[in-house]
Amino acid sequence: MKRRLQKMLTLLLVLVVQIAFAQEKIVTGTVVDQEGLPLPGVNVIEKGTNNGTQTDFDGNYSIRTSQGAVLTFSYVGFVPNEITVGASSVIDVTMTVDAAALDEVVVVAYGTQNKKTLLQSLSKVDSEQLEDIPAAGPQDLLQGQAAGVQVVNSSGILGSAPTVKIRGVNSISSGSRPLFVVDGVPLNDANQTTAQGGQALNPLNDINPNDIESMTVLKDAAATAVYGSRGSNGVVLITTKTGKKGEATRVSLDLSTSFSESTDRFNMMNADQLRQFSVEKGRVDSVTDLPQGSFNWPDAVVRTGYSQNVDASVRGGSEKTGFYLGTTFSDQEGFIIGNELERRSVRLNLNHEATDWLNVGASIQYSYINNDRVGAENSTFAPLTSAYLQSPWVEPYDENGNYRNTGFIANVIAIEDLDINDAKTSRFIGNVYAEAKLGLEGLTFRTDFGADRYLLEQQERSFEINSPGGYAYNSVDQQNKWILTNSLKFNRSFNDVHNINAVAGMSYEQTDTRGIDVEGTGFLSDDLINVTSASEFSTTSSEGAGSRLFGVFGRAGYNYDQRYIVEGSVRRDGSSRFGLNNQYGTFWSVAGGWVVSDEAFMGGTGDWLSLLKLTASYGTSGNDRIGNFASLESFEGGAISNYNGASGLRQLSAPNPDLKWERSKAFNLGLNTGFFNDRVALTVEYYKKQTDDLILNVPIPYTNGGINSITSNVGSMENRGFDISLNTINIASGDFSWSTNLNVGINENEVLSLPGASVDNQGRQFVEGSPAQRAIVGESVNTFYLIRYAGVNPETGDAEWLTADGERTTSPTANDRVIVGDANPDFVGGLRNTFKYKNFDLNVFFNFSYGNDIMIEGLRFTDNPNGNFNLRTDLLDVWRQPGDNAYVPGFDSPTFATFAQRSTLQLRDGSFARLKNLTLGYTFGEGVLDQIGFLDGVRIYATANNLLTIKGDDLDGIDPEVTDTVGALGQGETFFTPPQSKTYLFGVRFNF
Amino acid sequence: MKIYNKLILIFLSVFVVSCDDELNLQPEDQLTLDVSFSNKETSLGVLTGAYSAAQQDDVLNGTRQAYADYMADNVDFVGSFPTFQAISQFNQLSNNTSIEAGWDDNYETIGATNLVIKYIPTVEDVAFTDEEKAIAVAEAKFLRALIYFNMANIYAQPYSITNGDTPAVPLVTEPFDAEVQFPSRATLGAVYDQVEADLLDAAAVLGDSDNSRATKGAAEGLLSRLYLYKGQYDLAAEYADNVIQNSAYSLASDYSFYNTTDSEFMFTLLNSAADGQDSGEGFSGLYNPVPDGRGDAPFTDNLIEAYGGMDTSDKRFTELTQIGNDANGDERIFTSKYPDGITNADNAPVLRITEMYLTRAESNFREGTSIGDTPLNDINELRKRAGLSELNSISSVDQILEERRKELAFEGHRRMDLLRIQLPLRRPGMPNVEKSNPGDQKTIFPIPSREIDLNENLTQNPGY
Repeated sequence: MKRRLQKMLTLLLVLVVQIAFAQEKIVTGTVVDQEGLPLPGVNVIEKGTNNGTQTDFDGNYSIRTSQGAVLTFSYVGFVPNEITVGASSVIDVTMTVDAAALDEVVVVAYGTQNKKTLLQSLSKVDSEQLEDIPAAGPQDLLQGQAAGVQVVNSSGILGSAPTVKIRGVNSISSGSRPLFVVDGVPLNDANQTTAQGGQALNPLNDINPNDIESMTVLKDAAATAVYGSRGSNGVVLITTKTGKKGEATRVSLDLSTSFSESTDRFNMMNADQLRQFSVEKGRVDSVTDLPQGSFNWPDAVVRTGYSQNVDASVRGGSEKTGFYLGTTFSDQEGFIIGNELERRSVRLNLNHEATDWLNVGASIQYSYINNDRVGAENSTFAPLTSAYLQSPWVEPYDENGNYRNTGFIANVIAIEDLDINDAKTSRFIGNVYAEAKLGLEGLTFRTDFGADRYLLEQQERSFEINSPGGYAYNSVDQQNKWILTNSLKFNRSFNDVHNINAVAGMSYEQTDTRGIDVEGTGFLSDDLINVTSASEFSTTSSEGAGSRLFGVFGRAGYNYDQRYIVEGSVRRDGSSRFGLNNQYGTFWSVAGGWVVSDEAFMGGTGDWLSLLKLTASYGTSGNDRIGNFASLESFEGGAISNYNGASGLRQLSAPNPDLKWERSKAFNLGLNTGFFNDRVALTVEYYKKQTDDLILNVPIPYTNGGINSITSNVGSMENRGFDISLNTINIASGDFSWSTNLNVGINENEVLSLPGASVDNQGRQFVEGSPAQRAIVGESVNTFYLIRYAGVNPETGDAEWLTADGERTTSPTANDRVIVGDANPDFVGGLRNTFKYKNFDLNVFFNFSYGNDIMIEGLRFTDNPNGNFNLRTDLLDVWRQPGDNAYVPGFDSPTFATFAQRSTLQLRDGSFARLKNLTLGYTFGEGVLDQIGFLDGVRIYATANNLLTIKGDDLDGIDPEVTDTVGALGQGETFFTPPQSKTYLFGVRFNF
Repeated sequence: MKIYNKLILIFLSVFVVSCDDELNLQPEDQLTLDVSFSNKETSLGVLTGAYSAAQQDDVLNGTRQAYADYMADNVDFVGSFPTFQAISQFNQLSNNTSIEAGWDDNYETIGATNLVIKYIPTVEDVAFTDEEKAIAVAEAKFLRALIYFNMANIYAQPYSITNGDTPAVPLVTEPFDAEVQFPSRATLGAVYDQVEADLLDAAAVLGDSDNSRATKGAAEGLLSRLYLYKGQYDLAAEYADNVIQNSAYSLASDYSFYNTTDSEFMFTLLNSAADGQDSGEGFSGLYNPVPDGRGDAPFTDNLIEAYGGMDTSDKRFTELTQIGNDANGDERIFTSKYPDGITNADNAPVLRITEMYLTRAESNFREGTSIGDTPLNDINELRKRAGLSELNSISSVDQILEERRKELAFEGHRRMDLLRIQLPLRRPGMPNVEKSNPGDQKTIFPIPSREIDLNENLTQNPGY
């Protein structure tokens, strides 16, 4: 204490002296890079003071300072410059790129690391890549952005849940979703909302995409082993925006408006066509025997959705404090009638240097989302589904203009106009931390306390016309997590060449969920809204569950002169989710690397080869997504067990006290290169990942008490492939620059063994994922297994299929199913081109998927000529006489009834390339802004999303991007996916 | 600083110790097998669970009955749901998901009854008397017999053709105890033998106080049906007569007994909005017109004619039908035996005494006997209730069968009533008549391909 006082006195003295003698003056100048291009946003700070500014868009700055003061010029990716103010009042600065920008720091698990000596395989997605992509949740932002990351959007419905796979499907029965961690808090991502025909809403929607500074995707075991039991599907670390200490305060206001419309829809018959078809097929004798109405349902359930977004933020810092305060208001309308989403979100991130040994901080988000939902996929209350299936002579209104009930295929226009179907979520995600420097140089202790509290309220009310008697449903679900992490970090260099980077810690995480559901029917009036007014209570339920996870972890890295690098990590996790005999599991990794380009013998290559680094890693990680009590036997009560007012019990599952961790062993080889001062950067990684002790709900014959499966550790699966990313600055001269980022993830999945699983008639073991799909030993986990459709025989007019032996037949059986495709793509990726010319910027971003098959189950209905739903216009192509090459068998053919049975008739090649984002922006130059004194910058921009989709001819009317499950099995299937929306967005961003 | 370090170490170590207990988190609403059979209340809860399992739509609550009707001549299937449509057109495959679900749910129910039969006798609870235990076991045996009987009839060719020698379904009589079993199919004869043994056991113990659960009358009634299907008409008549003589049951005076616990029923499964039919594909969902139901299953013209056409005075038509829109929006005749398509709270009529009159009449007629009463009197008893003129004589068994059809329509009898006497399921002029003959491959269900793939001891039915 005494010493500190002395220091302060000295400091005060110096200041006084300075004030007394310094001669104040205004220094101006221009900051440029090595190419002479102006650098906007460079921090110019008078060293040792709060006095600072930033360069404007032309690289100019102006600062009041004094002779003898030291100005520091700093900018990310450049070597900081210090210049002492002399007599001149003009100081122009040329910044040099920081040693190939390799000292860039990247976020890793429990810390940050220097990119140059990084051994872990990870992909970083920066804020520039995230801007201008209108996204509902954080997963959408990853699509096409990082090698080895596949994101499949499930539909164009607002808030729908995408599937995210990192380096392939790594599990069968456990979830295959990666772990998302926001500012150190692993998020709850269990589905809480109702499925409504499709699937639950994206549980990560509450993370406001506008708050995200960067995302880091951890891919290999070296990166994920410290997440132990949750690492095997990969981990996505989300870092939210912060203010830096000493950074000038910047206010930013972003306003945007967008219009969205549907991309692909089926062409359905009109009333006259279907009436005529019904006569021809003999359903009725004459068109007059059918209702004479006419209505275009598919057109009536879509619209142009109009959305508005306001995003305001303030960020900056003082000497000891940095802050970010952001808020978002958005109102979105989907292109399907009745689909709307409101988002209200605030975030406050703070960091403060409390003393010279203690830093504290917090990142806190609260968000509220009100999603006015619509059904999807396999639901007759889903607008698009019922619009396709509804007979076009059925009209939504009666002769008096009132809505009518249209029966089993519901009047979706009345439903969306009248009924209530809301999901409201409130979510708090926060983390507070304190970081203390301990006695030993380089040693710090950090404690984090995080929380993720989630409250969901769902309300449904279907009124008399749509549900006779009325129907109401209300549920409240809470999910509360808290997590405490304590860690010690050691980061130090010895003799300038021995660098040590280590972290060790422990973490305890507790999640509790609770939900209450009520449901009722029998309302006297549509003016009585809630379940309390019902006469019959079909559901009254409350449930609670939870999980506990305790882990100790450590990671230590050493490098010699940033050339030879080794790192190891370990984590031991205990989880309440596993069998008593196997509650604990240990996961580990080792990695090594060599920066070849820094070797003396590479001296001659420095002018063209800026980086050559080789890395290798091997390690293990686990997967705990098996539900909370999968190892226990259960006798359960409730409605499924009760009879006639008496409480009952039913045996629902078998015990497995030996249930243990699913374990992935992953090997990764990396080649990192940079050429011509990193204008060309190529990274190629090869990986091979074997998942053993697969947690599988091993199906057993139903004759065992009707129990479907036993959750066991059996079998193994392998994913292997390459992740390639190539970043090039093609042109950087004068006013024009052009850069390209390409990433490709090549993945092959193979099921290695499934002991105890079903055996098909070829003797192969398999697990059925859906009626169309299986995980088969020796094949992909998402192998399509179907009867092959061969077409309509032009001579006979009969539809023909192939038997298992390849013979043509008109009456195939289930034994004729064979392997016909794979829902997993051969490769996925993204291609981004960024052009800048003077004040204009243009961003062209494609994402693509190649070699995957998709199954459109809905075609079994819309292409069933013998059914009584509406049909696609393709069905008009009926065989009529020998020689016809028709789509549909003849009306008299016995196969007319079986034509649409499940077969490759509904299977398509799902390869596509999509212009996901096209953005044109203009940033106003100084001349304009001078007129408006308080503005520092204005950018206007226009963005189009999903403007163009390149796909197969037989996907006319079908969106190639489909999934009706986020589970590992059954990928690439859909009933009727509402297509992705085409969105046009116009925005303006003000900086103050 | 040293003090800080020590504090942190202490903090860490305390935390590590305290976490171990936290990992042994227990579920809030689950019991184990041992606890479930540790006392009278929870063990009887497992029996209640067996009834609850039987409430699943494709066990006793209508789906299975509807499939049978889709195959036969009472119902004109107009829906478009592919798995149902396939059954109605005799082109179902072994991977038909609706058929697979039915197999699953029926074996769930069998599993629940097996638990009761094995473990209830072992429960140690002084409050649980041997007599109470015996009744619980008898109820479970009745349920098990009922489910096996229903399953055997849809997965095996009828006894009248095969004499019970072809495979039916696996006969599992032990509960699941974590050791997976791979049983092969028992013959229809063996399944019928088990059904008979269970029912005889049950009839010897059960009383008749509560027809919402298994009763002696229900056990004897089902025995009567079993003997009828096997062609053992003397036994069929005898057991039917036993029930008719049982004072607990009596022929209702009119048709208002549906969805009540009237003494017409020996066993009716009671449903409510909150606890009953579970899928919308049960009696109430499938047999009602839109918008309350799916409108999939209107009367065939042939059935309307059987009642005497639209102008008939047969109360079974005038009082038990409704006019409504079918799935296509066309106005059709539907049954009103299950009127609650909104909350699906209608009861399942499992066994009622009218069937006993019909069985006694048919069996006596075929045997030339008059156990209990004459066929003419039995039939006239039913015709009187229907508001029809009494017959003077019965010249053909067809007259009895016609009454049977009209009485029991939409209650799950028609398909077997045709097959057991070797009649085609469809009448001439109906679609797919040629595939509906007794013994035709697709008049019975395939063993679900899932089960074949998991259990190499299972054989598939021909044609799948």
